[in-house]
Amino acid sequence: MDSESPAETKKGKSKAPKKAKESILKQKSPAEFFAENKNIAGFDNPGKCLYTTVRELVENALDSAESISELPVVEITIEEIGRSKFNSMMGLVDRERVDAELYDDYETAKARERRLAKEAKVQETQAKNAALGKKVKEPASAKGIKGRGEASFYRVTCKDNGRGMAHDDIPNMFGRVLSGTKYGLKQTRGKFGLGAKMALIWSKMSTGLPIEILSSMRGQNYKSFCRLDIDIHRNIPHIHLHEKRDNQDPWHGAEIQVVIEGNWTTYRSKILHYMRQMAVITPYAQFLFKFISDASDKSVTIRFARRTDVLPPVPVETKHHPSSVDLLLIKRLIAETSKQNLLQFLQHEFVNIRKSLAERLIGEMGPEFSPKMAVKSLTDQQIVRIHQLFRQAKFDDPSGDCLSPAGEYNLRLGIIKELHPDMVATYSGSAQVFEGHPFIVEAGVSVGGKDVKQGLNIFRFANRIPLLFEQGGDVVTRTALKRINWGSYKINQTQDKIGVFVSIVSTKIPFKGTGKEYIGDDITEIATAVKSAIQQCCIQLKSKIVKKMQAREQQERKRNLSKYIPDATNAVYDVLKEMAKSHSSKRKRFEDEDTDILRKVSAQLITKETLKEKLAQHVEKVDYEMALEYATQSGVSEEPREDIYLQLLDANANFLDFHSPIFVFRLFQ
Amino acid sequence: MADKKKRRRQNPDDDDDGTQPFKHLLKSDEDILKTLKSFPSSSAAASSSSSSSKPLTLADLSLSTTCREVADLSLSSVQSAIETLVLQLTHQILSGQGFSFSVPSRASSNQLYVPELDRIVLKDKSTLRPFAHISSVRKSTITAKILSLVHQLCLKSIHVTKRDLFYTDVKLFQDQTQSDAVLDDVSCMLGCTRSSLNVIAAEKGVVVGRLIFSDNGDMIDCTKMGMGGKAIPPNIDRVGDMQSDALFVLLVEKDAAYIRLAEDRFYNRFPCIIVTAKGQPDVATRLFLRKMKMELKLPVLALVDSDPYGLKILSVYGCGSKNMSYDSANLTTPDIKWLGIRPSDLDKYKIPEQCRLPMTEQDIKTGKDLLEEDFVKKNPGWVEELNLMVKTKQKAEIQALSSFGFQYLSEVYLPLKLQQQDWL
Repeated sequence: MDSESPAETKKGKSKAPKKAKESILKQKSPAEFFAENKNIAGFDNPGKCLYTTVRELVENALDSAESISELPVVEITIEEIGRSKFNSMMGLVDRERVDAELYDDYETAKARERRLAKEAKVQETQAKNAALGKKVKEPASAKGIKGRGEASFYRVTCKDNGRGMAHDDIPNMFGRVLSGTKYGLKQTRGKFGLGAKMALIWSKMSTGLPIEILSSMRGQNYKSFCRLDIDIHRNIPHIHLHEKRDNQDPWHGAEIQVVIEGNWTTYRSKILHYMRQMAVITPYAQFLFKFISDASDKSVTIRFARRTDVLPPVPVETKHHPSSVDLLLIKRLIAETSKQNLLQFLQHEFVNIRKSLAERLIGEMGPEFSPKMAVKSLTDQQIVRIHQLFRQAKFDDPSGDCLSPAGEYNLRLGIIKELHPDMVATYSGSAQVFEGHPFIVEAGVSVGGKDVKQGLNIFRFANRIPLLFEQGGDVVTRTALKRINWGSYKINQTQDKIGVFVSIVSTKIPFKGTGKEYIGDDITEIATAVKSAIQQCCIQLKSKIVKKMQAREQQERKRNLSKYIPDATNAVYDVLKEMAKSHSSKRKRFEDEDTDILRKVSAQLITKETLKEKLAQHVEKVDYEMALEYATQSGVSEEPREDIYLQLLDANANFLDFHSPIFVFRLFQ
Repeated sequence: MADKKKRRRQNPDDDDDGTQPFKHLLKSDEDILKTLKSFPSSSAAASSSSSSSKPLTLADLSLSTTCREVADLSLSSVQSAIETLVLQLTHQILSGQGFSFSVPSRASSNQLYVPELDRIVLKDKSTLRPFAHISSVRKSTITAKILSLVHQLCLKSIHVTKRDLFYTDVKLFQDQTQSDAVLDDVSCMLGCTRSSLNVIAAEKGVVVGRLIFSDNGDMIDCTKMGMGGKAIPPNIDRVGDMQSDALFVLLVEKDAAYIRLAEDRFYNRFPCIIVTAKGQPDVATRLFLRKMKMELKLPVLALVDSDPYGLKILSVYGCGSKNMSYDSANLTTPDIKWLGIRPSDLDKYKIPEQCRLPMTEQDIKTGKDLLEEDFVKKNPGWVEELNLMVKTKQKAEIQALSSFGFQYLSEVYLPLKLQQQDWL
C-alpha cells in the first residue's frame, strides 16, 4: 500500500489480544482511520453528520470565492429523501414486511396491552383535569415508534461562485484524505483539511452513493463533471464518470452534491443557527438556504442577503515563528528548505529572525555550529539544540499582518443585519501572541433586537466560522458570564437582550477537545484579550445607554413625579384632618396662621384635592424648568450616520421614473 | 445540681490534659470567685472616681462642631412635633412651592467619634429632600407617609413593630429596608429616640443568668427561664426593677456559644448574666445592656469571634453604630472588656491549625480599616491584638474551641480567662 501523504497515521498496529496467535502487522490508510474515528471530525451521529457536512461545504465555498476576491454567493440545499425514493435511487424494490416479528419495532401482544392501558390512564386523567377546569396539556403527539432501520436520507447540494477546480485535480481533491491545499501556516477556516472528503466518507458509509462535482474555472469554456467515490482502504479516488461539458452561462465555481444519512429533526435548529451566525460574520456573502421535504409544511427557505461589498483581505501564508515550532516541524522545514546553509535557513524560513539575530543565535548554539554549515547535514542532536534555543531565546512577537479578521465594519453590519438590535458597539483589538502564533480578538456587544432572548446570547467565531457546540467551557462564554460586571455598564444581565459576539482569528486557534468546538479558558493571553474587547464595547454602549436613560428620564419625569402626588398628599391630609378634629374640639391650640388652615380643613375649603392640585402645579413648573435646562445643555445632537448598502439590480430591468426637481424615484417592475 | 457538677468536673480529670489542655492551670472555683469579687468593686471605684458621679454628656464638652443628639420624648411632644412639621408642609404646598424635608444626614462623613464620651455622635449636616425631584420624590413621599403613620400611633398610643409599619403600604415602601431607613430619618428629624416613636423591632436578643427584672409589671427570674433564656423586651420602657447577684455580664456574639453556656448553667458556677443579640446587636439589646451596666454597675466582658467582625460588633455595643449615632447616648455601653477570642489566644491556647481560617481579602481590608478607627486606637491592647490578626492573616470562631471538646469553652477556657483576669 502506498503512503504518500505526509501525516500518514500509523495506528492500528496490531489487532486485539484475542487473536494473539495471528498478530499480523496491519496498516491503516488515513481514510480508514477517519472512517473509524469519524467523531473527531464532527461526524458523531447522523444529525451531527448532516450538520458537519453542511458546514464543511459552506466553508469550502466561502474560501473558494474569497480566494479570487469574489463576493461569495452560496446556495445550499438539503433535500429529504424518503425511503421508497431512496430505494428507487439505489435500484432496490420496496419490500413489504412478511415476517413482522423479525423486526425490532414489532409490538408484542404484551407490550400492546401495556401501551393501551397506559393510554387509557392518560385519557382518564385528562378527562378528570378537564372536568376540574385545569389547564389541559396537549396530549403528547404519539411518537412514531422508530426502529433502527428507519434512517433518513438527505441530498445536500452546495453551489458557489468561487475559483472552481482544475479538471484533472478534481478526483484527488475529493478522493484522497489528507491531501489538500490548506496545510501551510495561515489563517484558514478548515479544521483538518478534511472538508468534503469526510462527507464523502460518510456518504460511502451510510448510503454508498457517490459524490457529484460540477466545476468550472474562470475563462474555461467547459464545465467539469465528476462522479466519484473513495476507496477507503487504499485512500484513492474511485472515478465513476469524469467528463467535460459545455458551459453555456459564464459561471465559475463548484457545485457539490452528496447523499448522506442524517437527521433533520434533531439538528434543524443547529443548522439554522449556523447559517444565521455565518451570515453575521460574513455580511459580504449571500446565502440561500433551502430545505426541501415531501411534506411541504416542513420545507424551509431562508435568504441571507448581502449587506456590504467590503471583502476582508485574503489571509496570507506566513512563515513559522521560532517560538512556535517543535522538533518535528524543524526537521520538516530542513527537509523542505531550498536554502543551503544554516544562516540562510534561519533567516528565511522563520519570521522575526534577521541576519544579525541569526548570527547571534548561531554563535549561541555552540562551537560545532557555524553560519556556513550545510543545513541538511545537521545531526539530530544539533536540531535538538536549535529547538532548545528557540524556546529560550527572546524573539519579537509575530505581527498580525498575516491575519484576516472580519473587521469591525463587517462585524457590526452582520450584527445589525441579523439581529436588528437597538444598540450595538464593536471593537477590534490589536494583534497579540500566544505560543508564537498571532491572534486578533474582535468583539461586538448588542442590546435589544428581534429573535433575541433575554439575558446573554453568546456568538463565538474562530477564524470566521461560528462555534456552536460545547459553549460551557469556552473562554468567551466564561468571560462574558463571570468576568464582566454588566451592571457597571448599566446593562441588566438577566433582563436585557444582550448579544455578545467574539471573533478570534489566528494562524493556530488553540482549540480544546477533539471536536475543535471550543477554545479553552486556561489561556491567559486570550482570556485577557477577550475580556478587554468586550469591555471596550460595553464602555461605548454605556455612554449611549446613559444618554438614552437621561432622555427617558426627561420624558418620564413628570409621570414619575406625579405618580407620588396622591400618596404624599394623602399622608399630609390625614394628619391635617386629625388635627382639625382636635382643633375643633378645642383640645389643642395653634398659631393664627395654622388655625386658619385647620378651620379651612374642617370647613372642607382645603381638601385632599386642593393639595393634589397645588402639588401637581408645582410638579408641572419644575418639569418645565428642568426640560428647558436639559435642552440647553444637551443641544441638538445628531446620531452618527451609517453607510447603507444597496444591492445591485439587473440593469435591464423594467422601470418607471418619477421625476421631481431634486430626485428621481425609480419604480422597478 | 452540685452532684452533677462534681461528676462532670471529675470525669475529665481522669483523662486529663490530652483532651482539654491547660486544665491543670485551673485553680478551684472558690479561688477564681475570690479574684472576681475583688474586680467589680475596684473597677466601680475607678469608674466612679474618674467621672465624678454623673456620666459626661455632649453639653458638658465644648466641641468645635455642633452635634445632634436626640432625647426620649413623650408621646404628646412627638405628636406636636409632627403636627408642626405637617403644618409647615401644608403652607409650602399651598403657596405652590411643593414641599421638602430637611433630613439630618447619616452619612459617614457626618459622623464624629468623641473620645471623651467614647462613642460616635452625629454632626449637624442636613440634606434637603424635595418632593419635586426625581431622585428624592420616593423618599420624601415615604417620609410623609411614615410621619402620618407615627401620628396615628401617637393618637392611639399603641406600639407597632417595624414590620407592621411596612405592611401598611407595601406598594409604596417596596421593601422593609426602605421604611426602616426612613423611620430612622424621622426620629432624627424630630429629635427623638426611635422608641419614642412607638415603633419597635422584633425580639432578637436573649438573656439568661442571675438577673431579676420586671417586664411590663411581671417579675422575671432569668435563672428560671429554661435553657433558651428570656427574650429581651423590644421596648425598654417596659423594663425595670433590675436586681442581680452576678459578678459580671458576659456578652456573647453568637447563639451557639450562648446555648453552650446556658445549657452548662455557667452562670451557676460563676454568678453572671449572659446576653447575646445573635450577631449584629439590635436596638433593644443595646438598650438593655446599657441599662444593666448603669443600674447594676457590673463589668461587661465580651466573648466574640477572633475576626474583624467580632471586633466590629464589640464596637457597636461600645460606641454605637453609624446608622444610629444620633441616639448613641442611649444605646452605648461604656467600658466593655474584650475577653476573647483574641488573636493572641490562638497560639496561647494552641488552637489547632485546622480550626483556624485564613482571612479573605475583604477580612484583611476590614481589619486594616478598623485599625484606623478611633475607638480601636484609644485602646493600645486592642491595637496590638488587631495588628497580630492582620499580620497572621488568621481568624477563628468561638467554636474553634470545640476541637478540645464541646464543653471546653465553659469548663476550661472561660474559667481560666476569669482566673487570670485576662481581658482588655
